[in-house]
Amino acid sequence: MNRGNRVLLSCVYWAFVLYVFVPLILMVLVSFKDSKFIGFPIRSWTFEWYTGVFADAQVLSTFGYSVVIAVLSTAISVVVGTWIAVLLEGRRFWGRAVIFGLTVLPALVPGIISAIAFRIYARGLGIEPGMGAIVWAHAVHNVPFVVLVVMARLSTLPKSQIEAARDLGADPLIAFLRITLPYLVPAILGASIFCLLLSFDDFVRSFFLGGYEPTLPVLIFAKLRSGMSPEINAIATVALILTAVVGIWAERFTRRLKKETEG
Amino acid sequence: MSYDAASARNERAASTLRQADRTFWGRLVNWSPYRAFAGLVAASPRRQFLILALFPILWVLTQHLGPMIQMVGVSFTDAYPVAAGTEQHLTLDNYARFFGDSIFWMPFFRTLFFAATFTFCTLILTYPVAYYLARHVSRKNQMLMLLLLLIPFWVGEIVRTYAIMILLGNTGAVNLLLRSIGLIDRPIPFMYTSFSMGMGIVYLTALYMLLPLYSALEKLPKSYNEAAADLGAGAWTRFRRVTLPLTIEGISSGCTLVFLIATGFYATPVLLGGPSTTVFAETIAGFFHVAGDEWPTGAAFATIMFVSALIVTVVFQRLMSALRKGDVK
Repeated sequence: MNRGNRVLLSCVYWAFVLYVFVPLILMVLVSFKDSKFIGFPIRSWTFEWYTGVFADAQVLSTFGYSVVIAVLSTAISVVVGTWIAVLLEGRRFWGRAVIFGLTVLPALVPGIISAIAFRIYARGLGIEPGMGAIVWAHAVHNVPFVVLVVMARLSTLPKSQIEAARDLGADPLIAFLRITLPYLVPAILGASIFCLLLSFDDFVRSFFLGGYEPTLPVLIFAKLRSGMSPEINAIATVALILTAVVGIWAERFTRRLKKETEG
Repeated sequence: MSYDAASARNERAASTLRQADRTFWGRLVNWSPYRAFAGLVAASPRRQFLILALFPILWVLTQHLGPMIQMVGVSFTDAYPVAAGTEQHLTLDNYARFFGDSIFWMPFFRTLFFAATFTFCTLILTYPVAYYLARHVSRKNQMLMLLLLLIPFWVGEIVRTYAIMILLGNTGAVNLLLRSIGLIDRPIPFMYTSFSMGMGIVYLTALYMLLPLYSALEKLPKSYNEAAADLGAGAWTRFRRVTLPLTIEGISSGCTLVFLIATGFYATPVLLGGPSTTVFAETIAGFFHVAGDEWPTGAAFATIMFVSALIVTVVFQRLMSALRKGDVK
């Protein structure tokens, strides 16, 4: 491949990097603007919006509410997802393809349809809109991601380790708890962080299954509909920094863990 | 790792194992309820499998399939939730309503058209990026440069939609830039059009296209291109006859994913679109804002949308795999 092409392609890459970062950077910049009026240019700067946000009881409680929902739904997804992955990986049985198809179904259903289906189902089961309904919907929606990540890791587990444990007298459950599960830890941690972020960022399911108390994305949405303000930028910036930091940390952490268990 | 270090590590592992046996695991194995349970499980491989399989099967049937089935079921009824003292009847009216009024089917076709267009835009935008990463970057930098692109995608849908609003607004960065270099006198109204909506959706879905493309391109051996070059193929011919056909699988799965996601967006069209760009998600949502008897219609519309999206993706995938087979021949 010639040089010119290569330079051109690298320009395309960096242009794409700009494209994905610039809108977010601009949003962060506006959160420091000393005026109620959203837009550019920014002539004077302030921290006022942040102090306002951290003093706002509604924003803080919404934030806590979102975190609790994310943690609870992730706990459910991880247990269920790991269980399904252990069943599906490396086993051949009648109906396996059907179960696999059903397992990934929630990840493929377009957002609005999934939200509507969950809402109708929750109503049928008598679950009132609110925290329980959101936790349940997020948990079901995130299971496929756990299954895929855990299955990928499980497929690299040397079969001989399990056999050795069984030869030494471990029953299947002990072999699972002491060999398979520790080996899966990096995948499970990675999947957990991914689920936490998915749940924390989810709008459409939280919106249709929520009661009167909004989650953070629902709150931002509601505020946006009644008008833009740098206060929203400040809230969004806090959410952005938090998710990005958690994401980067998880990426590094799981990679290190994977290296350790393999090396 | 040196031999000494390895043996020291083994020693350490063995000693922790012995300790553990004396403590938690040893006690667990000798604990009588556990023994009873283990005896029950270990009785036969068949029983083991049943115990392992029962919960996942129940889960996917009731939690993954259940909501979809009930949604379809409700779409054929005249009332849901059923009010006390009234009866629920089976009906096709909800589907008839869709075809009866352009206010319903216009957003539907608009959604399919928009989703297809935006998917195509995403493909055109991300293919060169994936190509560059997979073919021209050293292995070590590949992960770093991919990670760089992943960071913004951890940020939620609403926050990123808002970022696009700030970028494209009348006093937004793009208008400011255009005005300061003298291209325009008054701001271009980007917002609340199909353009701003497209910008938002492409922005939100780019990664789901990039990753399948990247993994398809990364698997493609460089030697294929070299062989084609040795046979006298120019850069464009090599791309069109070798690279493109062999990455069709990645293109196909990326497009499917992005199309399905794009049809399901609700908040982004609400915030970035205008009255002339109402998508079907907004139409469906409208039936759920009011409590009561509009739900079956909403369920019917959601079913129409889901089935259509499935048909489009299946046809598309068939087409792509036919294309691939045709090229391999």
